Amino acid sequence: MVNFTVDEIRGMMDKKRNIRNMSVIAHVDHGKSTLTDSLVSKAGIIAGARAGETRFTDTRKDEQDRCITIKSTAISMYFELEEKDLVFITNADQREKSEKGFLINLIDSPGHVDFSSEVTAALRVTDGALVVVDCVSGVCVQTETVLRQAIAERIKPILFMNKMDRALLELQLESEELYQTFQRIVENVNVIIATYSDDSGPMGEVRVDPSKGSVGFGSGLHGWAFTLKQFAEMYADKFKIDLVKLMNRLWGENFFNATTKKWAKQKDGDNKRSFCMYVLDPIYKVFDAIMNFKKDEIDSLLKKIGVTIKHEDSDKDGKALLKVVMRTWLPAGEALLQMIAIHLPSPVVAQKYRMEMLYEGPHDDEAAIGIKNCDPEAPLMMYVSKMVPTSDKGRFYAFGRVFSGKVVTGQKARIMGPNFQPGKKEDLYEKTIQRTILMMGRYVEAIEDVPSGNICGLVGVDQFLVKTGTITTFKNAHNMKVMKFSVSPVVRVAVEPKNPADLPKLVEGLKRLAKSDPMVQCINEESGEHIVAGAGELHLEICLKDLEEDHACIPIKKSDPVVSYRETVNEESDQMCLSKSPNKHNRLFMKATPMPEGLPEDIDEGRVNPRDDFKTRARYLTEKYEYDVTEARKIWCFGPEGTGPNILVDCSKGVQYLNEIKDSVVAGFQWAAKEGVMAEENLRGVRFNIYDVTLHTDAIHRGGGQIIPTTRRCLYACLLTAKPRLMEPVYLCEIQCPEVAVGGIYGVLNRRRGHVFEESQVAGTPMFVVKAFLPVNESFGFTADLRSNTGGQAFPQCVFDHWQVLPGDPCEAGSKPYIVVQETRKRKGLKEGLPDLNSYLDKL
Amino acid sequence: MASFATDGKVCIEREIEVSPLEVDDLLTRFDVVETSKWISRNNFLKVCLQFPDELLSVSAQVYEEIKKRVDVDLYILGDTSYASCCVDTVAAMHVQANAVVHYGHTCLSKCNIPVFYVLPQKELDVSTTMEIMRENFQKGVKLCLFYGEEYEHFKEEITKHWFQHYPNSYIACVEKEENEIRFLGRVIQDSSGKLYPVQELENCICLYLGSRGQTLFNYTISVAAKEWYVLDPDTKKVEHLEETSWFKRRRFLVEKCKDANVVGILVCKLAGDQTKDIIGRMKELCRINGKKSYIVSVGKPNVAKLANFPEIDIYVMIACPENDLYSNRDFYKPLMYPYELEVALNSNREPYFSTHVTDYDDLLPGKRHYCEMDHVKEATDVSLITGKIRETNVGSTITSSMALEEKQNWALENIGQNLQDRSWKGLEQKLGETEVKEAEQGRKGIPLHYANEPDKEK
Repeated sequence: MVNFTVDEIRGMMDKKRNIRNMSVIAHVDHGKSTLTDSLVSKAGIIAGARAGETRFTDTRKDEQDRCITIKSTAISMYFELEEKDLVFITNADQREKSEKGFLINLIDSPGHVDFSSEVTAALRVTDGALVVVDCVSGVCVQTETVLRQAIAERIKPILFMNKMDRALLELQLESEELYQTFQRIVENVNVIIATYSDDSGPMGEVRVDPSKGSVGFGSGLHGWAFTLKQFAEMYADKFKIDLVKLMNRLWGENFFNATTKKWAKQKDGDNKRSFCMYVLDPIYKVFDAIMNFKKDEIDSLLKKIGVTIKHEDSDKDGKALLKVVMRTWLPAGEALLQMIAIHLPSPVVAQKYRMEMLYEGPHDDEAAIGIKNCDPEAPLMMYVSKMVPTSDKGRFYAFGRVFSGKVVTGQKARIMGPNFQPGKKEDLYEKTIQRTILMMGRYVEAIEDVPSGNICGLVGVDQFLVKTGTITTFKNAHNMKVMKFSVSPVVRVAVEPKNPADLPKLVEGLKRLAKSDPMVQCINEESGEHIVAGAGELHLEICLKDLEEDHACIPIKKSDPVVSYRETVNEESDQMCLSKSPNKHNRLFMKATPMPEGLPEDIDEGRVNPRDDFKTRARYLTEKYEYDVTEARKIWCFGPEGTGPNILVDCSKGVQYLNEIKDSVVAGFQWAAKEGVMAEENLRGVRFNIYDVTLHTDAIHRGGGQIIPTTRRCLYACLLTAKPRLMEPVYLCEIQCPEVAVGGIYGVLNRRRGHVFEESQVAGTPMFVVKAFLPVNESFGFTADLRSNTGGQAFPQCVFDHWQVLPGDPCEAGSKPYIVVQETRKRKGLKEGLPDLNSYLDKL
Repeated sequence: MASFATDGKVCIEREIEVSPLEVDDLLTRFDVVETSKWISRNNFLKVCLQFPDELLSVSAQVYEEIKKRVDVDLYILGDTSYASCCVDTVAAMHVQANAVVHYGHTCLSKCNIPVFYVLPQKELDVSTTMEIMRENFQKGVKLCLFYGEEYEHFKEEITKHWFQHYPNSYIACVEKEENEIRFLGRVIQDSSGKLYPVQELENCICLYLGSRGQTLFNYTISVAAKEWYVLDPDTKKVEHLEETSWFKRRRFLVEKCKDANVVGILVCKLAGDQTKDIIGRMKELCRINGKKSYIVSVGKPNVAKLANFPEIDIYVMIACPENDLYSNRDFYKPLMYPYELEVALNSNREPYFSTHVTDYDDLLPGKRHYCEMDHVKEATDVSLITGKIRETNVGSTITSSMALEEKQNWALENIGQNLQDRSWKGLEQKLGETEVKEAEQGRKGIPLHYANEPDKEK
């Protein structure tokens, strides 16, 4: 069945211009995996007749059972393009001369928001993205999220309108209506693209255009698809119009009058939109004839479209026949292949403009040049974007993309984790790559070596990486940039083994789980609790299931889901806070103030970060947040972990020995920022100002021992005098439903402290979209609650959006934040009650 | 409870209740006669009398009384270096004493000088207490009674009553002499006086007669009993004890220790050879696991003293088990028990523990909880605390002359790493950059408030 061999694929890997690395991305349930089947069947891996049902790339049992993709799965395929199609590839870097074959490395990704980290990991190693949109539901939240991510990573998109069968069979849309729907989706997609990139950027034109063939239409389930190129080819000879010109004519405001044989730019009485007339009408006719059992019409139609039915299919009718006919007439694999080969960039093209986004080091060192030129002879640069479990328990394939050089079985390479810094030894290992392998959906194949521009897996490096990393042979190489996820692990559960003595097994399992998922966090907290944190309830559910069944293999007790809070302040400290060191010889005078709105997010996103040049950063802060420029230049550090959204600013003037105690003050600040005063949660959005410091003249009396604990005490006093508040995470929640269900949604949201900020009808459909903010803490069981209140008609998609102050004063007994603080303190084994200001604040 | 004070201020400001004592009372309460006999019997020439802070007021009287009875050199020891529950052998050695008489609460840990313990005494209404026990515990269950050492003088009575009601149970008596079977100063015996090892208690319900405190706490965490109860004769209440969350925290520290690069071995006890041995063992464990270790001795540790070494990631404190610093959360870097370091770094040990070994003596060769150290292989692992890869970087054995150089480089690099991360690396001369100034008058007054200090708050 398989019409290509590993050797053939290895041969293709050297022809880097004929490689396409692509991911399939979309909103949940828009039919990615199903569509992917069409390509896989074209490659001959699954039988054509079963394409659309197998979901070849859903390799896990739970994926098959739930009909949802959980992990992204890669597959390499080999295709040949016909000579007539090859001429469409004009860029010399998009195709090797005299080579018809193409190697397509495809990654099918999950659509559910909870798994969008998988999408991020997939995007990183690919150059192009097939964006699938269900033409009935249109562009949804997740479509926008993944598309935005793709553009940010400089991934070129092509668009596919899926589920045309539903539009025709269920909604019975008129052809003009359907055109309008398509048109709107194309527009929506292009608006998103335009928001995050412009055509003059390094990628060139990014927008999708049906008349150029970068938009496909069809049905993944039925296995048929087309672009305007297919139809233009059918008519080009008849009309004697150049193919490209005809494609232009077949989309947009082009109308044809069948009687006068004249083209027009405007609609009038007699003419008809060309797209409807030449593209949709034939399809409608085939549908109509077959679905309404018009036997006689069928035969003549089939002849017209040049489809001959095979003997074994001749007794089919209705939907089954429709499938066979459409699949034979407009084979999805063919259309998709052409879209991919013609419109998606080869690594040679893509790496030129992606290098600066991918590489942290100088843009002119050997590694950078190697990436830029996709040069297999340059030093090896490979990015590992995720870990794929092997059949050997606890071991993983490191999955990633070779951007430069060649990765060879048995080669000695430098394995650099995300914390590696050039010139230092942290997170750096020099080890042998045991084996390189080709990932083929549910199978893997060993392969001798893999040159630049390809995706592959490695055996033997998993022990040295947690989730991601860079593999190189270049001694002075910097890291490849770490991936930024669009979701955050805000939902947490505590896990413990049912049998306490199984704890070591649980710990081992947690370590494996941490590797196997790009997003999940497994944390051993100060209190000794083991926490699993995920993006949402579904994500956690899957992670815990994996933990119990695959990684730890012991029965597990899990707590109810909880969220983590952040501590912040509401106002400036109402007094100058003084703390004295234990020896009374040193004093610190500080205040806390809230950061202006938007700054914590700027820090999260890295727009303001500790590695910036301090002058540039000060200018930015002055312009955007009206910070005093001299103060803004004296930001001592960010925290917690040196990068978090809190800052320590030196506002003092002419203090002697101040630079000597800086390290100690910073250490105290990191400590306090990590464990806030209320409930030892992280701080967020707090700026601490140092106004004055008096120090003992002898260095020995102002050492770390005196300053570190004192700084912490002083910062705690600052927090307590600045109206401390708690922050909770909030989801952006998008709910799609028919109009009747909207009322039910409001009820559920109100009960859960959610608030709706947008409600609109999806144009061209009876569906409504309600957008709301919902505190994550209130979201547990939300999906089920919503379904039961709307008769199962509303489907929410929740993604972490921002942190929001939990209303109420945590110092006031009985208030909501007070209860949260007490619960958290209890869970962490801290003294219950409120922290006492007097134990932190000293008097002069 | 005799524990280290973390804040000097507390020490200075602490007020100690002093109640005047009658001479008769004194003789019985402090076993003066017995003590004198013991001294003369053993022909000691120089004897130290070690008093805890709260008994210092009577020390002179006791001294006088003993002096009256035996004519030897007597010295009073006060303000013990670490904890007053331990015998201060070092102070005794200063005067080359032959023996120590220890007053007040004691942890009964091993020491290498003859000691006569004078236990504190407290009143107890034995029959009422027994009544409460009978109400709470049925006859059938296997019980073991631990009584506080302050009730040792009621030992006969308690034993008699206890075995009357619970003939098949055990009692853990105070044992002052060091022997094989003694566990944290107790031996377990049944009604016939037969002795049992502590493992016997696994299926027993243990009951502690006395007040809550570090002594009881140490028993609850280190004796693997079915359940633990405390009966406080003052409040007459029975309470159930459980320390699961404490154990969770300790297991976290074990993980944290695996992450640490630099371990501080904090020496807070001087007495005995076993201290030397355990320090050596801790050092060796760090070495075979490729961790740097430093021995730190700062007298009584407190937050400020230990924060002076920010490069140290975790401390292992060699101290009397009866102190509460281990669980203190104010320290910049956590303190752990020697046993926990063993669990973290000795791969031969069971990684999971539900009972603790508080007495490090038990970890030494030939003792109850000794465990052979194994050669550690280089390995990597994910840390659930930092979320990073952690590596067991075993210092490679020197094979060639080059290896030595490499090893040195590695060591230098490790030290250099910490220095590099500091922004302040030492005095900067800034020659020519600072202008020449005339000498000015400095600050005046005391640190609490200097004379020329600005009043910031006003």
